[in-house]
Amino acid sequence: MRFQDAAKDGRAIVYAGIQADPLVARLAALLTSATAAERWLARAAMNGERTEADVWRRIFPSLFGEGEATELRARAEAILDASLAVANRGEAARSSYRGAVVEDLTAQLLSLRGGAAAPDASVRRERRVLFDGVPAEIHPYDVTVESQTRPEVYDCKWGARGINADVLNQLDDARAHAGEEDVDLDVAIVVFDARRSCEIRLDRSTANRAGTRLVAIEDMSGLAGPRK
Amino acid sequence: MTDQVVQRAAEAYEALAELAETIEDESQYIADLTDAYLPSIRALADLDPGRPLTADQIAAVDEAIAEIGLITDPHKAIDWLSTFPHVVALALGGDVDDEVGADGPEADR
Repeated sequence: MRFQDAAKDGRAIVYAGIQADPLVARLAALLTSATAAERWLARAAMNGERTEADVWRRIFPSLFGEGEATELRARAEAILDASLAVANRGEAARSSYRGAVVEDLTAQLLSLRGGAAAPDASVRRERRVLFDGVPAEIHPYDVTVESQTRPEVYDCKWGARGINADVLNQLDDARAHAGEEDVDLDVAIVVFDARRSCEIRLDRSTANRAGTRLVAIEDMSGLAGPRK
Repeated sequence: MTDQVVQRAAEAYEALAELAETIEDESQYIADLTDAYLPSIRALADLDPGRPLTADQIAAVDEAIAEIGLITDPHKAIDWLSTFPHVVALALGGDVDDEVGADGPEADR
């Protein structure tokens, strides 16, 4: 089993420009230490109809109320500001930006592990996994942890609706092929949406997903912890 | 007061689901989301019944209702079928993460 850079077609080149936008890294960095409520603020504001900050401050009184500590309120303001900047990129670009934020957030959280949790692992983006005698997958993985001993691959989704059989099958096939090479490949889908919504989506899927981990919006901080 | 604001949220959620349903390929998912979250939204009315909501809490829910009322894109409506219940729950200090069981608040309705 080996990792390889994905070939870039025209669409990937355009998307790479979005991934490289400093706004993506800024918002993702803010969300690495965010609470669940702050992540819900980001999800809502990035996909809202209105982009006036006061609207969102009123919708989230637990983050912006008068009684909130200055430091917490400042962090929520920074998340709101960056989320609205994504929203202001326009309806057409929003979905690409949102996806890029979820990917970058995942990569940043995994990079925070460091130390003994992943001593030999590098966190990479847009990588394929190749297996001997197996045709290459069509889609690269959004994020990979390229450990010699415990590699991991992640597919990232903005919403539960993005969970589909193709994604689940690709992840499960990779895990199975790795197993044929005696490699313990951890496969996961990261979804910036409610765990409950993801489970509702998964419940209707017939794809094999027993070995695929789900990381939902409530669980994302766990990506920065040791692999279980 | 809590009953009224929760009722408004539930009605707004049903309207959002109606808009989403125009995406026929996702009708099952939309029905599943609605079946799960609508009872959970309604159950928020039973949160700590002795404690009145603050004006900020009521304004938050009404502002969230106004927000989803502006949605015209059914794809966005599907996205908000997942987001809205959690936003309302945060505003009211509850949660919509779990199924409302047969012995839960819905059983009395």
